[in-house]
Amino acid sequence: MSAAFVYYTTTILVYLGVDILAVWSLNLQYGVTGIYNFAWIMFQAVGAYTAGVLTLGPDTSNGGFQQYILGVRLPEPLPVLVAGAVAGVVALVVGMVALRRLRTDYQAMVMLVISVIAVLLVENVTGLFNGPAGLSLVPQPYGSLPLSSLGYQWFYVALTAVICLVVYLFVHRVTSSPLGRALRATRDNEDAAQALGKDVVQLRLFAFVFGGVVAGISGAVLILFIGAWSPGSWAYVETLVVLTAVIVGGTGNNAGVMLGALLVPVAFNEATRFIPQFGRPGLVDALQWIVIGLLALVFLWFWPRGIIPERRRRFPAGPGRATQAAEPSEVT
Amino acid sequence: MTGSLFVQSIGFGLVTASILALASVGFTLQFGVSNILNLAYGDLMTASAFAGYAVNQAGGSIAESLVAGAGFGALASALLNRYLYRRFVRHGTKLFGMVVVTLAVGIIVQNILLAAYGATFFSYSFSTGGQVHILGMVLDKFQLVIIAVSVAAMAAVQLLLTRTRLGKAMRATAANPGLAQASGIGTEQVTDLAWLMSGALCGLAGVVLVLNTSAFQSTTGNDFLVVIVAAAMLGGVGRPTGAMLASVVLGVVTEVAARFITPSFKEVIAFGVLVVVLLFRPTGIFGQGATVKEVPT
Amino acid sequence: MRSPAIHASTWARSVALLAVLPLLTVAACGSHSSSGGGSSGNGPLTFAVFNPFSGPDASFGPEQLAGCIPAAAAITAAGGILGHAKITCKTADSRGDPADAVPAAEQLISTTPSLVGVLGPSSDEASATVPLFNRAHIPMFADTGQAVFNQSSFGYFYRITPPDDAVGYAMAVYAHQKGYPTAAAVFGNDISSQGSLATVVSGFKKLGGRIVLTQKIALDQSSYRTEVSALVAAHPDVIFTEADPQTSATYLSEVNQLGHLGPFIGTDGTTQPPWLKAVGHAIGATNLKRLYVGAQPYAPTTGVPYQLWLSQIKTVGSQVTQPASQWYGDSYSMAAWDSINLMALAMVAAKSTDPAVYRPWIVKLATASPGAVVVNDFAQGKAALEHGKTIQYVGATGQISFDKWQNSPGAFSFVSSDGSTKVATYTAAQISAAK
Repeated sequence: MSAAFVYYTTTILVYLGVDILAVWSLNLQYGVTGIYNFAWIMFQAVGAYTAGVLTLGPDTSNGGFQQYILGVRLPEPLPVLVAGAVAGVVALVVGMVALRRLRTDYQAMVMLVISVIAVLLVENVTGLFNGPAGLSLVPQPYGSLPLSSLGYQWFYVALTAVICLVVYLFVHRVTSSPLGRALRATRDNEDAAQALGKDVVQLRLFAFVFGGVVAGISGAVLILFIGAWSPGSWAYVETLVVLTAVIVGGTGNNAGVMLGALLVPVAFNEATRFIPQFGRPGLVDALQWIVIGLLALVFLWFWPRGIIPERRRRFPAGPGRATQAAEPSEVT
Repeated sequence: MTGSLFVQSIGFGLVTASILALASVGFTLQFGVSNILNLAYGDLMTASAFAGYAVNQAGGSIAESLVAGAGFGALASALLNRYLYRRFVRHGTKLFGMVVVTLAVGIIVQNILLAAYGATFFSYSFSTGGQVHILGMVLDKFQLVIIAVSVAAMAAVQLLLTRTRLGKAMRATAANPGLAQASGIGTEQVTDLAWLMSGALCGLAGVVLVLNTSAFQSTTGNDFLVVIVAAAMLGGVGRPTGAMLASVVLGVVTEVAARFITPSFKEVIAFGVLVVVLLFRPTGIFGQGATVKEVPT
Repeated sequence: MRSPAIHASTWARSVALLAVLPLLTVAACGSHSSSGGGSSGNGPLTFAVFNPFSGPDASFGPEQLAGCIPAAAAITAAGGILGHAKITCKTADSRGDPADAVPAAEQLISTTPSLVGVLGPSSDEASATVPLFNRAHIPMFADTGQAVFNQSSFGYFYRITPPDDAVGYAMAVYAHQKGYPTAAAVFGNDISSQGSLATVVSGFKKLGGRIVLTQKIALDQSSYRTEVSALVAAHPDVIFTEADPQTSATYLSEVNQLGHLGPFIGTDGTTQPPWLKAVGHAIGATNLKRLYVGAQPYAPTTGVPYQLWLSQIKTVGSQVTQPASQWYGDSYSMAAWDSINLMALAMVAAKSTDPAVYRPWIVKLATASPGAVVVNDFAQGKAALEHGKTIQYVGATGQISFDKWQNSPGAFSFVSSDGSTKVATYTAAQISAAK
């Protein structure tokens, strides 16, 4: 294998790790708990920006060509941890507004609106995160290690893997515990859960904040690897890609959504890079989006529970529903 | 700002409110009856604008383009419901699944337009018809047409909903589809008609939007979607009158923000108003009854 | 009611599965082909256009490609480089987004063993990907406008187009020369528009002008009535502006409607055909012709080097984005053509296609030296080099003068609404008066 190929492979592995964190996060919110988080990409962005400004140092460095708040240089691994925490706090605030009193269909719309407001804010308040140009020249963590640049690539892959493992332990703990069953119950039958004495709002808020923290960490891992992050990277349609990965892999199933992350944002996205540009410029990209949309439709129709479906722990299918592919995310 | 300029800006404000009202009433009408949050709405507006553009390029007048846009929007919207959305609902796809379906459809429509027309800008060819001075406002004649179209459409919707049997059936279906069906209302036909009407308004809004922006591309309608959603929510989802009023409110708020804060913030402020209102009135200013409904099959 | 659906869905499921399979196969095949490769002694050499081909800046990629294709064809026609008979152009879509651009760059580098040079990256992805090409020792002629690269330490980074801040200064100088006492700056709140806002404001003030209004406007609104009213109330003598075509069309048509449309000066972003077409529609072609000028990096549209470029782009006209005529006077396409010619000649002079070996020759071949023969395209240069002469390449964009950071900030011209007729030209020294 040539060195260049190793660079490419390791880059893809890091992206895979980031996407796996992403689908676990959204799966916990949407798949397990049934929260319509159309603003998911915003929480990844919060994490990315936070980790960025906590690694860049004061904005007078680099000739002062970027403006941003908070500029300090925290030692590793603090930027990643703080990124998760800040994303969690933002999720708490958004959740308190959106999840408490609103109808579920309103929630979806409010999330959409919030996601768009966030992009507008960051683009227009240039002093926040350097406006539409975004943050760049973010130094890589542990850069002082005596590693070749190829060695560093593998080191970062290992670092991502460790973070994924730690996050998985937490996520698995939640989804396989009584708490996880309570979350599923609020998703499958809110009234019944309420009748059983569960505080549905608290449960939802918990899943939302937990998912937000993981989303923030995924953003931090990404920006510290690529060194740049701009509003171009987090348009609200990007949430659809992660959502499609969750649906394709298996809504509600941590292993299933991992497969989804491998198939949709990684394998599919990378595969299209090998298609030579043809036709009008941008045609390949347009076709790629069309296929992403079709994938979501095809799976919702034929395999609404995904490739590796969630095991039905409760509420076994009744006689009339045995042939119907019951979607686990129904909230009535 | 001098007095006359202020009056002139009100003139432009009427134009924007007209466009937003067309779009948000169409959006909320369909949502109220079918309870499907149709995120493909903005892209359908763009597609209708392209349909109007095709007619315009073939030598059609603005009126013909408007008819083409409305017709295309109505047809596309009704077919979309009948052959895709309703099938998904009957197949067992629930509320949120339907949101994903409509979002996916929107992405597909937008990118088909992008693939077909390319990443460039288009303009209708028409003469602006000269200017008209009314009460100190300076408007192009085509902008008067926009206002007139919108007022006429709003009046028609209002009359239909309050004065006809169909309107009553529609409101009954929106309020309680099960009960409506039990009372002998053909809810399926009513839903079909709601999608048809919503699509016609969507198509009209698409054409008048790009008439007013002078230039448009494959993303133009979708850029407008969030404002439409905001107006619909502020007015109380499913309430056409609320959406009309909310369009005016949003218009005023954004313009005051642009005037006294900074122009690039106007959308942020408008959306901020929406979020704050929802904090205190979760069903919007003009909405009522916070009931959670499922998609009627 | 359910059972027919089951039968239907069984075969439909198979169809859907078949539809998904090719995607996975493409992925698998892709990774197979990438692990092979390695260019043989006289296989083709590849130049890549690494730029946005989709997203808001989708027009950048085709513009660079329109310079690459004629150059590759001309070099191939002239017998190629050091036994490599065929020279090709490859495109890599950065999608104008750092998160997409990084794997795209790594993929390009790893799967293209014959890659010898890059056109790009643009402002959207430069800071994330310049280090990657630099690490891979691939020379890149970037079209990024970011001022941070005015003085960068990347050895493989070259730029022969001016940075965004220079555009702002040039506009200030033009307005000053025209004698406008006051100006308003109306810029979209996007990355490419904001690049020149700060320097046009500071430059105009430095030259004694007064900025009566600075507006940062949200893109793609249905109307800008309040912003336009504020503009009219401020009574500027001239407007500095850039936004995307739709936004500018809406905004300027409303100014026009109020009867207050005066002269306006656009950035290099406004000299593109989509902008001129959209705004021309909005305010009328006569108004546009009468009131508009746009800044553009200077590139002559007469003379021998220009004629060589023109005849070559016409020769390959069917292979570039249509209509081909839009690139004839496009200084970014011409800069791309010059970049490829310069890299190719550097290989011939260094007798190596290894970037690490030929890289020092890029600056040498552009610099005037005693006894050097001036050449205007690859064929002339190759012939002269084979006769043992020293050469200086002066291409379609004129003489290239690299500073120690391998930047060549050139002159600026102002063009009218046809996008090519020059109404004024200022040298780099004249522009620096506004700094």
